Amino acid sequence: MRLSWLLPVGTVLAALAFWQLVTVTGVVGPTQFPTMSDSLAALWAEATSARLWNSVCWTLRSWAIGMAITVAVGLIVGTALAFNDFAYRSAAPVIEIFKAIPAIAVLPLAILVLGSSLAMKVFLVCFAALWPFLIQVIYGVRSMDPVVLDTAKAMGIRGVRRFLAVSIPSASPYLVTGMRIASAQALILSVVAEIVGGAEGIGRNILIAQNAGTGAYPLMYAYIIVSGVLGLVVTGAFFLMERKVMHWHESQRNIRAANRAARS
Amino acid sequence: MTGTTTDVTSEVAAPRRRSGRTGPLRGLARLATSLWLPVALLAVWWLVTDTSTSPFFPPLRDILAETWNQWVVFGEWTHAVASLKNLLFGYLAGTVVGVVGGSLLWRLRQVRVAVNPLIYFLYVLPAPALLPAMIALFGIGQMRQIALIALGVIWPTLLNTLDGMRGIDVVKFDTAKALRLGGWRTYRTLVLPGAAPQITAGLRASLAVGIVLMVVSEMVAARSGIGYFILQAQAEFAILKMWTGILVLALIGTALNYLFMLAERVVLHWHVKSRALAGS
Repeated sequence: MRLSWLLPVGTVLAALAFWQLVTVTGVVGPTQFPTMSDSLAALWAEATSARLWNSVCWTLRSWAIGMAITVAVGLIVGTALAFNDFAYRSAAPVIEIFKAIPAIAVLPLAILVLGSSLAMKVFLVCFAALWPFLIQVIYGVRSMDPVVLDTAKAMGIRGVRRFLAVSIPSASPYLVTGMRIASAQALILSVVAEIVGGAEGIGRNILIAQNAGTGAYPLMYAYIIVSGVLGLVVTGAFFLMERKVMHWHESQRNIRAANRAARS
Repeated sequence: MTGTTTDVTSEVAAPRRRSGRTGPLRGLARLATSLWLPVALLAVWWLVTDTSTSPFFPPLRDILAETWNQWVVFGEWTHAVASLKNLLFGYLAGTVVGVVGGSLLWRLRQVRVAVNPLIYFLYVLPAPALLPAMIALFGIGQMRQIALIALGVIWPTLLNTLDGMRGIDVVKFDTAKALRLGGWRTYRTLVLPGAAPQITAGLRASLAVGIVLMVVSEMVAARSGIGYFILQAQAEFAILKMWTGILVLALIGTALNYLFMLAERVVLHWHVKSRALAGS
């Protein structure tokens, strides 16, 4: 049991040591890759300054607003489409096409119309996150047990109540998975909007550090590490939610049973 | 790591409710239902922008005419070829590493536990953030773009390969052992096909990541490619030209997606069939 956490921690430390070794001995020159100690020192210096936290706030803000809009619109539109066969069949190809269009294609247009602003980032985030989430909502609601639906009908549950008390809980495993996928997309597009679109945030700070020349490379890697940590936080939050919120659901029971079987 | 990657079940066809009609009429009706909305939306776009004087939203007719001019007559299609070449090399390199790496990690349990945090970190790290680092490492050129695409593409494929292989029924391995299939043959005839649906889901996720990285890498410090074309047009305030780039990129994204689905249907036809059997 102890080995199961000792080993990963050891690997991370070994990887950091390897990074330091390779850069200090000059296998990889300082013009290409900064040393680990310099990067971590830069990270520490930034963590005590306001600049890092400001950029984190900007990136998270567009992520959060975009996700809120995506989830709200996705739930309402997705449920409406899922309950009507004709509407579903009509809209499905359109959703597939929009999902296949890379969101960065519209980035230059968004920059022109909205400028390097929060609104531009939020628009891009929504464009990237909405379609995959919408598909999950539709699948979730459509895979609902017909008996549950009939029971709800027999009990006279309809409208908003059916939406809140029947549709959402039944579809929730799909919804949380959809949110996790959407959230990863949202973070990626936030960073892209900052690198290419010049909006405030982590992505812009990475590019500024790169442009500042070799001396600022440790800073660049410090911000790359920060973006990875943000990814961990954002994805990890939904991963935990999947387990905590869904503990009663069949799919999670099976996973737990499988895990128990694997351990014993 | 189970459950952290793409959900296979959600990617394939949605559960369908039975419709009453049968025969050729039904097929025709189905085709009509799936086509009318895209056609209607295009018509609305055409009509609404037809008399548009807004600098940002030129008439669709002009966009289409300009697309023909720019990409065929003026020969800008070379940008598309440059982009697709980078994508192809990066995607191939990344997915091969992903499948092989995933298989190795599946075999070597200790290594898997050990490198788990590193792989997960690289998986959740927003790949475009690595672009400036790639510029520093490889300078400006094709190599940097291919490297960035490959680096982003590896992780979805690798994690899905691993998940798929770990999800194979243990009984099947006992059967393989009883049949004395041996390591390599078990891998080829049981493990790879067994994990194929989830590997495919990973490959599709990787393709989406690859397309994004292809464009992003062309938008910063590059001299060719669709991303460069679009951003250059935007910088020159050549809105119509920019729209043609957006249109071509959207077409390429959609076409690649459909090509993938086609290939998936050919390769995984047995899987779809067995699912249909199980469902009936």
